[in-house]
Amino acid sequence: MNALDIFAFSAGLLAVLTASLVAFHPNILYAAISLTFSLLSVAGLYAVLGADFIAAVQLIIYVGGIIIVILFAIMMSENIYRVRFLDGARKYMAPLVFCAALFLLLLKMIVAYVVPLVPNPQRIPLSEPIGVALSTIYALPFEYVAVLLLFGLVGAVIVARPNYKEHKQGGKK
Amino acid sequence: MNTATLANNLNFYLVISAILFVLGVVCALSRKNIIGIFMGVELVLNAAALNFVAVRLLHQKAAASAHQDGAVFALFIIVLAAIEAAVALAIVLRMFGMKRSIDPDRMTKLRG
Repeated sequence: MNALDIFAFSAGLLAVLTASLVAFHPNILYAAISLTFSLLSVAGLYAVLGADFIAAVQLIIYVGGIIIVILFAIMMSENIYRVRFLDGARKYMAPLVFCAALFLLLLKMIVAYVVPLVPNPQRIPLSEPIGVALSTIYALPFEYVAVLLLFGLVGAVIVARPNYKEHKQGGKK
Repeated sequence: MNTATLANNLNFYLVISAILFVLGVVCALSRKNIIGIFMGVELVLNAAALNFVAVRLLHQKAAASAHQDGAVFALFIIVLAAIEAAVALAIVLRMFGMKRSIDPDRMTKLRG
């Protein structure tokens, strides 16, 4: 165990603990805040893996963007102090049984796939190779994702916009 | 001098990612709140991206620039999650405007 191990272990532990808060906390606002910490810890794991660019993207887009969007969705939709905001009457039994079986299956697959411990991986910085990959062999998927992002945002604006005709007739349906 | 044992072990990341995935599925299946379901899906996507990045440990020998496919896929997953977040916020706002509620059990308009 050296410093890198301790960091990896604590980041993984924090990710799992906060993710379980996300799954089980009855208050949706606290769940969203612990989702922030879960994503932060996964960014830490990316850093341990040497994927610096992915860690930065995770910080900027997930923690900086998606969490803000989720918090906005919470604050603009439900009244935080209403009782319905807490979902108390949840059915845990079937999902828990299903997911325990799923987890055992995944664990069996992971254990069966015995990976020799990589003796001394050189954690090369990722920014340059990922830039080269995105502008050469992944140029077409990159453009597809860009177009998809554009269409997604336009579609989101169209869906979220209040109906134009309803507005014009003074709210009459 | 790199003597790390846990941080170089691929199985460690795979187990963490499996736990995150399963917790995300539990969250998406058991919450009675559309934003909670969305957060569960985010956890699942995040676990998949972690898997994609973790397998880069295997390719360190093959060196430099050739084997960054996993990282590129993780990047695409993050972008798709961002798109999903935007569309999900739009749907939540629209639904709340129509029904004053974000209970997925009340989204029955397309049931026919």
